[in-house]
Amino acid sequence: MRRRAARECRRTRASLPLRYYGALGEADARAVERHLSGCLACSAAWESTRRLLGMVRAESAFPREAEVDWPALARRIATRARGAAAARQAGRLAHWPLPLRWAGAAAAAAIVAAVALALLRPAAPGRGEARLVPAGPGDAGTDAAPGGTTPDALRVVQGRLARRRAERDLAAGREVLVNLARPHMACRKSDAAFDIRLEKERSADLLRRMNLYQGTLTGAGDERLAALLAQLEALLMQVASLRDCASARQLHDLHAEIERRRILLRIDLVTREMQGRAPRA
Amino acid sequence: MEPDDFGLMEGVRTDREGAFERFVERYQRRLYRLAYGYLRNHEDALDAVQEAMVKVFVARRRYRPDSHPFTWASRILANHCIDRLRHRRARPTEPLDPGREDGPVEGRHEGRSPDDPHRDQEGRELRCRVEEAVATLPPRQREVFVLRHFEEQSLQEIAAALGCALGTVKSSLHRAAAAVRDRLLAGAVPAPPSGAEGET
Repeated sequence: MRRRAARECRRTRASLPLRYYGALGEADARAVERHLSGCLACSAAWESTRRLLGMVRAESAFPREAEVDWPALARRIATRARGAAAARQAGRLAHWPLPLRWAGAAAAAAIVAAVALALLRPAAPGRGEARLVPAGPGDAGTDAAPGGTTPDALRVVQGRLARRRAERDLAAGREVLVNLARPHMACRKSDAAFDIRLEKERSADLLRRMNLYQGTLTGAGDERLAALLAQLEALLMQVASLRDCASARQLHDLHAEIERRRILLRIDLVTREMQGRAPRA
Repeated sequence: MEPDDFGLMEGVRTDREGAFERFVERYQRRLYRLAYGYLRNHEDALDAVQEAMVKVFVARRRYRPDSHPFTWASRILANHCIDRLRHRRARPTEPLDPGREDGPVEGRHEGRSPDDPHRDQEGRELRCRVEEAVATLPPRQREVFVLRHFEEQSLQEIAAALGCALGTVKSSLHRAAAAVRDRLLAGAVPAPPSGAEGET
């Protein structure tokens, strides 16, 4: 009899943690309930379990959790994640040899241009078909109407948009490069390195943005702008491919490269020229 | 209406606007608690959450919906934490300011002005013991315990989130809760009656 009672006590006590979380099956819960109502020792063990597990609070187990500004952290994480994804993309390209990169970019631009032309060009009228674009005075049977057909006008608008974006991105790129020349905070992980996470993220963002319009800078007078953007792109790729904690040597090399290319001065000149030339839309 | 976990992950995968921000908001605290269990350091745990979330975003297109998004994210986090611990073991460092270190040492949780120093001392000890008790659980048990005890998730939800059977969740919870209780009991808390089985 006593042995049976001891067995029931053991079984009941083993069930107490699950009882605390309401995780016992119905039959087990009833059996434990019944036993507890008649056993003082097990009732005391239950009270003890309840009291001890009740003491386990989040502020005790994770004492500094309340210090964190979680919404701000979420925003920071999202920004970092997007920057990292873009840097990864840019890093992948950076591993290609330069001629291949140029060849790839040229091929992609050619394909895009061909597809755009095929889609936008009005179909050549066949025999007996009406022309879609009315012929203007002096039109000698070509598709181009005076003042530009739809594809021409579209190209003009695209070119103008691309130049405006380029102007904005040159300014943003200049800012990143100037920031890199300023004294940096030491990395938390190592005093001998400098925290350049912000510059990396902005470089990656810029690279992604610049990819979107560089192929459209094909107008007359855009060659210098396109060349400058390519140089800026190369520098931003260098920044984006560095680790979050850059060494003093890496930063020094980067500064030397910026100096060598005289890119800040050239950005200033081209920007001023564009501001003087371009009609403000 | 808030999308469910799978719907939200689909939004992240397809770059739906704001989906990743919501994903981070939904899981970052839970992941922090798991990371803290591994690393037992506040800053390291926050870093680990950030790194894991960045990895989740970079690899979002490789996610397959045969596992719960939280399972996937927590696996990435666990791998990161394990790497971090390995690295820490290989290169042990001294904390710059031992008072700010998060390990369960005496003299932590300072900066409060107690009315009763004895009571405050007891409170500090208790917090240390609780922290220690949770942190020293084996990883699976700790995950289950954290999700049930602090997040108040149902056993079914935990099973789905961790990608394991309901029975496994039950047994892990049972072991974890018993271990935490026994650890707290072994401290300064008055011992319960023992050797009185069958006493009615």
